[in-house]
Amino acid sequence: MSEKIFGSRLRKNIFMIVIAFVGMTFTFQLIKMQILEHTTYTTQSDNNSIKKKPLQAPRGIFFDRNLDVLVSNKPTYNLQITPAVYDTIHSSTIEAIINEERGTINKIFEKNKIYSKYLPRIIKRDLNYNNVVWFEEHSENLKGVEIIVEMQRDYSYGVKGSHIFGYLREINSVQLEKEKNLYDLGDFIGISGIERSYENLLRGSKGYEFILVDSRRKTIGRYLEGNNDIQPVKGKDLVLTIDKKAQQIAEAEFEGLSGSLVAIEPSTGEILAYVSAPEYDLESFAAFTSREQINKLSSDPKKPLFDRAANSIYPPGSTYKMLGAIIGLEENLIDINSTVYCRGGFQFGNRFFKCHGNHGSISVIPAIEKSCNTFFYKLILDIGLDRWARYLKMFGFGEKTGFDLGAETKGIVPNTEYYDRAFGKNKWTKGTLISLGIGQGEFSVTTLQLAQYAALLANSGRTKTPHVLQGYIEGIKNIDYNIEYKDKIANISQRTFDIVREGMFKVVNGYGTARHIKLPNINIAGKTGTSQNPHGEDHALFIAFAPYENPKIAVAVIVENVGFGGTHAAPIAQKVIKAYLENIEGNNFTISSAK
Amino acid sequence: MEPSNKILDKFDFVVFAAITLLTAIGMAAVYSATYTHPTAYGNFNKQLISGIIAFILFFVAYLIPYKTYRFIAAPVYVISLLSLLAVIFIGKTVYGSKSWVSFGPIGFQPSEFAKIGLILFLAYYLTRKRKNPNNFYDLFIISVITLIPVALILMQPDMGTAIVYVIISLIMVFWSGVDLFLFFLLISPVVVVFASLFGLATFLICMILVIALLVYFKKNVFVNASIIVLNISAAYLMDYGINFLKPHQQKRIETFINPLADPLGAGYNIMQTKVAIGSGGIWGKGFLHGNQTQLRFIPEQWTDFIFCVIGEEFGFVGSILTIALFIVLFFKLVNIATHTKNIFGSTVVVGILALMFTHFAINIGMNIGVAPVIGLPLPFLSFGGSSLIVNMILIGIALNFYKNRREQI
Repeated sequence: MSEKIFGSRLRKNIFMIVIAFVGMTFTFQLIKMQILEHTTYTTQSDNNSIKKKPLQAPRGIFFDRNLDVLVSNKPTYNLQITPAVYDTIHSSTIEAIINEERGTINKIFEKNKIYSKYLPRIIKRDLNYNNVVWFEEHSENLKGVEIIVEMQRDYSYGVKGSHIFGYLREINSVQLEKEKNLYDLGDFIGISGIERSYENLLRGSKGYEFILVDSRRKTIGRYLEGNNDIQPVKGKDLVLTIDKKAQQIAEAEFEGLSGSLVAIEPSTGEILAYVSAPEYDLESFAAFTSREQINKLSSDPKKPLFDRAANSIYPPGSTYKMLGAIIGLEENLIDINSTVYCRGGFQFGNRFFKCHGNHGSISVIPAIEKSCNTFFYKLILDIGLDRWARYLKMFGFGEKTGFDLGAETKGIVPNTEYYDRAFGKNKWTKGTLISLGIGQGEFSVTTLQLAQYAALLANSGRTKTPHVLQGYIEGIKNIDYNIEYKDKIANISQRTFDIVREGMFKVVNGYGTARHIKLPNINIAGKTGTSQNPHGEDHALFIAFAPYENPKIAVAVIVENVGFGGTHAAPIAQKVIKAYLENIEGNNFTISSAK
Repeated sequence: MEPSNKILDKFDFVVFAAITLLTAIGMAAVYSATYTHPTAYGNFNKQLISGIIAFILFFVAYLIPYKTYRFIAAPVYVISLLSLLAVIFIGKTVYGSKSWVSFGPIGFQPSEFAKIGLILFLAYYLTRKRKNPNNFYDLFIISVITLIPVALILMQPDMGTAIVYVIISLIMVFWSGVDLFLFFLLISPVVVVFASLFGLATFLICMILVIALLVYFKKNVFVNASIIVLNISAAYLMDYGINFLKPHQQKRIETFINPLADPLGAGYNIMQTKVAIGSGGIWGKGFLHGNQTQLRFIPEQWTDFIFCVIGEEFGFVGSILTIALFIVLFFKLVNIATHTKNIFGSTVVVGILALMFTHFAINIGMNIGVAPVIGLPLPFLSFGGSSLIVNMILIGIALNFYKNRREQI
């Protein structure tokens, strides 16, 4: 090698190349990091140092139709723990203080371990005052443990309404994954009833406070002086169609019973009262809902969580009879004067179908009044199955009403196809039809459908989809948004309605099966029913509307396993009617002498 | 060339401007990283005082007669070794390693000052008459000169500084005329092993480079084959060798290769550092406005991770300016080394270059994620009086040799 030992050009150049190479490597890396990948790193940096603290939006509250409060919110103290900064050494002490089983905290952590450790977990809601004080006193030593004030539902307004209001529960991970932008871990979401149906109106929108935190998640200050904070927007307050007084009376009347009641404003479809008994205590769902609580309710043999008004089906019994009359009249099979001779029943082939009396020669109005089976046994044979089914659909049977509380059952309206499927083609006879004539057999309805049917009778074939939401109030601007509901029309002549309604009037005000519920100054029209129950005592049914001259309320009541409808269901309807009509503004139904 | 009396001929203002600017940037960054910090508060003032002392000593080093350095080389080296020895017995333990000696309120790091001793004494030994770095006896002596302080520093333990000592020594030997093939023989296994850590691709690229150099050196087939075998087996033995490292050192190597593997443990620093620099963007978040810095996401940021403050608060522009100042300084030092007729002086300047460049490359490299995390301060910028003072003295010495570049010994 012919190079000069010191200061050799080659060695100098090697130095220069190495220096230039390192300088260029650094430059490229900086271009990559600071220019090309700048956004990614900025996001990471912001996530690092800015803690997004959700601000709960108060849920909208519920008013009744007179703007009386039904459900509101109250503050509650909740215990939350952030796993990343929390020392589990404190767990057993904390569990003892909040009166929870050992291992509860760990269980909650485990359940949500897919979420960031920096996300606080709610450990217990609705702490009592002593607990709050204890945590405040020990806050210095309990890193990551916080007491936060949140709102929870307040049900202390004297209305149970469990199946109307529904309940809330902490969002589960499946829903959370689906609606990440709307909810955070530990948020409540409506699970049933109005809370579920109108979740999107009720939840409002969450606010967020941006807080600067250091690498140990210690708060340093507000991010940009709070200028970027997002204020929470309260959920919309709902005005329900429910009448608080009628609802309260209905609930009280069902104390100790199983069954359901639905009362509807006939012209609008507004649900005035809605009871499914037994109810459950919503208060027990307001705070942290434990698995045991839910399990206990769902395994209760009385099924309090089950909404009987929309989901239980019963044969309508004699409450069906107006429909039979309507079909007969509309199809000109009978007229107001046509009579049938009742000698305690109806002989068809070699079977005798019983009536509950010897009504003699009877026409349509007294047949409704006295609930004569014979008249309707004969009539259904003339109507025929498929014609019959067509009219039933017109009155909303065999299909969902589409009401806004959600889940409901269609009920059963049998037709030829149905019987062919059930019994086999040509395996059923006209005799099978006969029991349909008095609302027994396969024909099954829900209380809700019966109430809609009563509303159609009351309002001469015009009503709207039953609903509990009248409108909502947006923020503090006090604007009501009225909601349009679909019309429900039964295309029947006024004369036909007049005839069956007269029959219903006489059920209460003549010599009918519900004359004992007659009120001195409100004319109630109704129809009793008793639905045979193969499993035990009959179910008592009653449908009614009032006042007869200008109906403002239509009611359907079913009381399970008590027997005769006139005895057990009619008085409940009467009390609800009275409670509601007395309460209507500007009316003069001042009644005090109801039986 | 005619000797000139012009001041520009006697004093390299470019170098002086570069180190002054770098020190100023360092001061700003240290201020930013510590001014709200509960325990590091006040470090800025300490750094300011060190800076003043450093500039005074810079001029002292610049002004004393250049021949003095040759005379004091051996004594300074001996004093260096004694001070390193002293650290082991009376040193203060800071962050798990003993590297500090205190005299009353003043503490200093002998391993920083010992760099001066090593550079001077190595230069002295390499440039004595009839010394030949290609002579194996001389190479052995050079190794001993290097490895005594290295051993003492490893006892502290301070792996990073020890590595720097070895590199300084290698580069000075390289400059002093060691046979390039011999040098290649020494260096290539280290480079190949390092490259092999990053997987097969980098390893193969390095091997291709090795083969290319073998072609350049035109040695016989037997030699070529043995060198290739040596390199491959070195890389292969690396896995085995890693077992001798302490677990935390193994972890550091793993983490360097894949920081995401342990984001909250050893990888934490690397990730946070990259986030800080990357989020700085083109213009930076502004002085005192870096959230990573101000919210203390990077522990002890004012020492080894000071470059993040610049990257975050002054962005790409500030980072590139800093790097450019260093590159200018290094090119200048190469030029001084090349143009100094005094071969002792030239070798000293290369030692200084080697020292600063190694710190620069490793420190910024680890800050931006292209080099493993080895705790080394960034010259002129990192907080630390000893380091700042020593670097200033060394530049003073380099400019002294520049001033006297036309003089032979």
